[in-house]
Amino acid sequence: MGYDSTMSNTTEDSNQGIDKQHLASHIKNLVDKYQLVPEFLKVRGLVKQHLDSFNYFVRTEIKKIVRANQEIRSTLDPNIYLRYRDVHIGEPSMVFDAVTEKLCPQKCRLSDRTYAAPIYVTIDYTTGSHGQTSVSTKKNVIIGRMPIMLRSSCCVLYGKDEDELARLGECPLDPGGYFVIKGTEKVILIQEQLSKNRIIIDTDKKGSVQASVTSSTEKTKSKTIIKMEKEKVYLELNMFKTKVPIMVVMKAMGMESDQEVVQMIGRDPRFSALLLPSIEECADLKLYTQQQALEFLESDKMLKMPSYSTGPIEKGARALSILRDIFLANVPVHQHNFRKKCIYVAVMMRRMMEAILNKDAMDDKDYVGNKRLELSGQLLSLLFEDLFKTMNDEARRTIDTLLARPSRSSRLDISQYIIKDSITMGLERTLSTGNWDVKRFRMHRKGMTQVVARLSYIGSLGHMTKISPQFEKSRKVSGPRALQPSQFGMLCPCDTPEGEACGLVKNLALMTHVTTDEDERPIMSLCYCLGVEDLEQLSPEELHMPTSYLITLNGLILGKHKSPQRFANAMRRLRRAGKVGEFVSIFVNEKQRCVYIASDGGRVCRPLVIADKGVSRIKEHHMRELRDGLRDFDSFLKDGLIEYLDVNEENNTLIALYEKEATPETTHIEIEPFTILGVCAGLIPYPHHNQSPRNTYQCAMGKQAMGNIAYNQLNRMDGLLYLLVYPQRPLLTTRTIELVGYDKLGAGQNATVAVMSYSGYDIEDAIVMNKSSLDRGFGRCIVMKKYSAICQKYENGTSDRIIKPQRQGPEADRMQILDDDGMAAPGETIRNHDIYINKESPTVTRTPVTSPMGLPDSAYKSSKQTYKGPEGETAVVDRVALYSDRNNNLSIKFMIRHTRRPELGDKFSSRHGQKGVCGTIVQQEDFPFSERGICPDLIMNPHGFPSRMTVGKMIELLGSKAGVSCGRFHYGSAFGEPSGHADTVDAISETLVKHGFSYNGKDFIYSGITGMPLQAYIFMGPIYYQKLKHMVVDKMHARGSGPRVMMTRQPTEGRSRNGGLRVGEMERDCLIAYGASMLIYERLMISSDPFEVQVCRKCGLLGYYNYKLKTGICSMCKNGENISTMKLPYACKLLFQELQSMNIVPRLKLAEA
Amino acid sequence: MEGVSYQRFPKIKVREVKDDFMKFELRDTDASIANALRRIMIAEVPTIAIDLVEIEVNSSVLNDEFISHRLGLVPLTSERAMSMRFSRDCDACDGDGQCEYCSVEFYLRVKCLSDQTLDVTSKDLLSSDHTVVPVDYSDASSSFDNTPNKGIIIVKLRRGQELRLRAIARKGIGKDHAKWSPAATVTFMYEPEIYINEDMMESLTLEEKTELVESSPTKVFGIDPENKQVTGKCMIVGNPSAPPGIPLCGSRWPNMIWDYASGEIPCLFFEKVIVVDPEAYTYDDEVLKKAEAMGKPGVVEIHAKEDSFIFTVETTGAVKASQLVLNAIEVLKQKLDAVRLSDDTVEADDQFGELGAHMRGG
Repeated sequence: MGYDSTMSNTTEDSNQGIDKQHLASHIKNLVDKYQLVPEFLKVRGLVKQHLDSFNYFVRTEIKKIVRANQEIRSTLDPNIYLRYRDVHIGEPSMVFDAVTEKLCPQKCRLSDRTYAAPIYVTIDYTTGSHGQTSVSTKKNVIIGRMPIMLRSSCCVLYGKDEDELARLGECPLDPGGYFVIKGTEKVILIQEQLSKNRIIIDTDKKGSVQASVTSSTEKTKSKTIIKMEKEKVYLELNMFKTKVPIMVVMKAMGMESDQEVVQMIGRDPRFSALLLPSIEECADLKLYTQQQALEFLESDKMLKMPSYSTGPIEKGARALSILRDIFLANVPVHQHNFRKKCIYVAVMMRRMMEAILNKDAMDDKDYVGNKRLELSGQLLSLLFEDLFKTMNDEARRTIDTLLARPSRSSRLDISQYIIKDSITMGLERTLSTGNWDVKRFRMHRKGMTQVVARLSYIGSLGHMTKISPQFEKSRKVSGPRALQPSQFGMLCPCDTPEGEACGLVKNLALMTHVTTDEDERPIMSLCYCLGVEDLEQLSPEELHMPTSYLITLNGLILGKHKSPQRFANAMRRLRRAGKVGEFVSIFVNEKQRCVYIASDGGRVCRPLVIADKGVSRIKEHHMRELRDGLRDFDSFLKDGLIEYLDVNEENNTLIALYEKEATPETTHIEIEPFTILGVCAGLIPYPHHNQSPRNTYQCAMGKQAMGNIAYNQLNRMDGLLYLLVYPQRPLLTTRTIELVGYDKLGAGQNATVAVMSYSGYDIEDAIVMNKSSLDRGFGRCIVMKKYSAICQKYENGTSDRIIKPQRQGPEADRMQILDDDGMAAPGETIRNHDIYINKESPTVTRTPVTSPMGLPDSAYKSSKQTYKGPEGETAVVDRVALYSDRNNNLSIKFMIRHTRRPELGDKFSSRHGQKGVCGTIVQQEDFPFSERGICPDLIMNPHGFPSRMTVGKMIELLGSKAGVSCGRFHYGSAFGEPSGHADTVDAISETLVKHGFSYNGKDFIYSGITGMPLQAYIFMGPIYYQKLKHMVVDKMHARGSGPRVMMTRQPTEGRSRNGGLRVGEMERDCLIAYGASMLIYERLMISSDPFEVQVCRKCGLLGYYNYKLKTGICSMCKNGENISTMKLPYACKLLFQELQSMNIVPRLKLAEA
Repeated sequence: MEGVSYQRFPKIKVREVKDDFMKFELRDTDASIANALRRIMIAEVPTIAIDLVEIEVNSSVLNDEFISHRLGLVPLTSERAMSMRFSRDCDACDGDGQCEYCSVEFYLRVKCLSDQTLDVTSKDLLSSDHTVVPVDYSDASSSFDNTPNKGIIIVKLRRGQELRLRAIARKGIGKDHAKWSPAATVTFMYEPEIYINEDMMESLTLEEKTELVESSPTKVFGIDPENKQVTGKCMIVGNPSAPPGIPLCGSRWPNMIWDYASGEIPCLFFEKVIVVDPEAYTYDDEVLKKAEAMGKPGVVEIHAKEDSFIFTVETTGAVKASQLVLNAIEVLKQKLDAVRLSDDTVEADDQFGELGAHMRGG
């Protein structure tokens, strides 16, 4: 080194300069790559999984179903038939008075209709019968109405811009993905399931290792289990009564040579040793040939159902058909060639034995790669298939009965017998109840649909990404509830409910995509082109050669390949070039020596940036093109810069978080780390600084926060609507907030919070609020409730009527708010017991009346509807909507509005799972103030911090404070510091100092009461606070005397029935222990259900009081000689009587007290 | 110590007065008086605000309560408020807005007939009394933006929407509702007394001094550019605000600096740290902590003067800032009178003990 010291100094400087540039360019890259996320969401929408699935169903799946069941042919006359040629779904519409009317979703919501579109088919069919038939074609025959998912390709909202949506009364931020059934919005929850057609190795209850396959094909669904029990291998299939020795099954499938079986499993002596007992068992049974094995399987002790077909069938044919069609139904058998199935069984056994020898080879059922998500499209297709088949069967049966009838007047027109209503009604019923009862597939599932939560915008978004579990919630297992490492990036690690469903109900992450089915035939032929050796050509010996890997496509073994890595690379290259579908996954499993190719639907996957030797394929110019609008997300996919990876394929990758961290081995780079969170968790600023459960709590609470629910919120008629009067967007935002539109439909307000103790009314998370802030509108909310009335038409032609209110008389003051049309007028203040509709119903509704329209007044009875609200609360009639419902009855909806300001006990929460109730409201002059004149809106007790460890909340406060001082919204995206999506505390502190605050966010505060400075500096600044829907007015309840239950004469239960407060068992125990006998007596009898009884001292039974004779009389002894009067609880008397009715005689023995 | 008088004569020195802003010093009194003044300004100086709204037509997007709430918060000029009656005390009327002593009537009749969104503002409120009108901010803010000032937006109307209402404004105090509070900001601070130990300060290097100066988040201290006196051992570098140059190594004088800019021969200067603005000090202790961290505790000492306060008053415009202070003093006097008058009821109150005092205090 020949430099002198100064020179070296400068070079060092310049080095640093380069370094800085280098670093900066990296950061620039990363910031830019973020642009892909909004682009992704623009292309796919927030609920793309639902929409894609439904679109797939409507475009492809429904056609497949119709094609598979395209013919209705009479069993009596095979010349009479109906054939479906084509099916498509039209525009959403409804028929009203024989006029087809186009529908839009908002109209359906308001008038309680189903948003459905006709299913059109083109049919060829025969007319006439008995040889004189002619074929004709009909186009656009409606076979039913399909409920349409909002924003799907069939929906009128598809591809509409903001203005057009507004014209249709729709909120542009509403994601769609749900249905409107009879006016209610229903979402079909994503169902989590174990993947179909895959070998899963696990243990059963007894601990024995088993390999199971749940087969699912268009025709059948079955579950096949091969298990090792008492060192022998058996097959379990529910067509067989008992477990079947596996060697018998192999022999029945034509694998008569034991040696071949051993070869197929592999020549490893350990495998042979494990198989030996099974081979011996088979030999003991003296089964050597296929025929013998089949006959053994068909014997009564094996086969479950006796043969019901009467005709003499070949021996062993039934067993063979079971083996062909039900046993491992996913492996096709062509022309009795069972070889593939045998190999499949062998592979199953091999994997099972591997697991026995090495426990690590066991499959993890909770592994996300072994799971499939069932979406609305798949569920609807199951339902539609069943209904379609039922309809066709019914049509066939009707035709057959008609044909069987000897004389008919008209020509037989088969096209008239496809009944439209069964499909329409079936779909509607299933979607509105959520009960999937598909007998054909033995499917009985409940609660599949839910009413979309419209409490807050984020709540409804979160609802669409919710995944309901496969297990029932009551099971006390920890495995499925635990956070799986394979969930990374696919499912949100934070968003899960607390309590029984904890960990079972999950939510999708922001960028997750759920695949739809893809045709596997082209992939299959492509595999063979790429050098996969077909199974048919392989000898058993060659199957498990150490040099080759098995190639599996969707669980089906295609063959083997000598150089799997090259094969996989070739496949991936083809996928990146767009020759194979982008969602096809290629996964090389080195442990199992297999290459798994998957194209089936329901896999979760996510986009990642492809890197070559650690260098990202996305370059600066790509991002520039994206910014200039020359590119979109799809072009990135098409050009092979980005690809979708599913959970399995992720195992073959090395993913770098940032490009700067990439090594030469890196194959992919994350787009943005905050996308591992879902929609709800994305609202939390700095979630990575919080204790994990706090984020989970916030995910649950964000859904209860009040705010704006949609742009069209005031035009909707929701049953219950909570709105904030002055909602704000958070000062500390995240990228997710911007992406999902929370900044446009916020649910909270930026409150200036002082973290200090004040007044003692802030213990246990209570918060102290500033009265002036409340006066100025902080936390003010509007609660709207819907009341509806129907002017019913009855079968005898009569109908309800709404009449003019009485302006005089006893009812007049309760009818003050009614207009002359008998309905409450908008803008009127409505009080408890006020009548909001003056309706009358006819007394006779069944039997025919002479003039149903001109009934006399006496034929009506009043059926006014009265408003029941809290006393003293002034609610207002907001809107009155009249419409005719599906049955053409006049219906009226009333929205009753109430504006509430926060009061003692209302619940508030920050975005960090820190909820608290309002403990006291304090005058502004008593509130502490800073010398700048800043006075907090809220005081929060500092004890909320140490145990909760919500550091994110503190950073939020700092960041918001810096934000208001410098006038720039600060960011706090998850893990966003390195990529610039979260402001660092350093930077924030600098801003604070620049604006004259202390770097630590603490202020010098004076007491408002004394005017003296407080001893400590107070951590003060804005925090986004949410008002939660739990408010005192809705819960407050007290009762003196009130209604009682008729049967027991005890006070009613529950606030809604003005019920009493129960002294329960535990309270009673306390009083007993304390010896407060009089109090117990008073609570349990005097104040509850005291009852005076006449007791006969002789027989010990209850008598009665004869008011004529003025004595008590025992009905048993027939006299009143030994009667005593005493008090006991009415419930006690009831018990005696109930016992007596059961032939048990309770007798009272009285003693002087 | 009987008979000792604690009477003091507080003094007010006004520093700055604008229509809606005022800054003054209050001296020779203690925190209780200062705070009482502040509290009264916030909560007890009466103003006039809309208290009752009768809505005739409202087809706007905001509901009736929403608009009423917004109307209530519109500040009205309330010079008359002190002389007006509280509606509850008024025996001339029943508070229906017709009474000149206690209420003012307002009308608002707006309908949007154009395709453009129409802003309904406080300017559209028509008052029955020309002395009580919505506060006009136009002259105050016109200096820096020249968009026509249209008052406070109440609601926006779309074509065909209409708002017609009658509102009654009444006298009230901030304690009842914040809309009656004339104060936007009332705050005071103790006047800080900053003492720099010059001898100790001299022992610091320039870097240390700048560090110390910059450690305060607000501009309290500065390095005096004027004080260029050349002493026997120190001289000033040409531009003290320029970044410090390279110190001469091995020099006896660590303060000695090359000045490349002027090319002058190195001179020795003595930079003086001065207090630029003591009131900018926010009692953040940062400077003291810095001094301690430098190992020079006591180089700067800061105390709060216990008896002198600097008030900042900003009003909503309902009352002029100066008037607000005067009104506050007036209200304070009235309250004190009330206490004095109730002296003779002390006997009656004695039986209530402490409760009686509370009852008197209201």
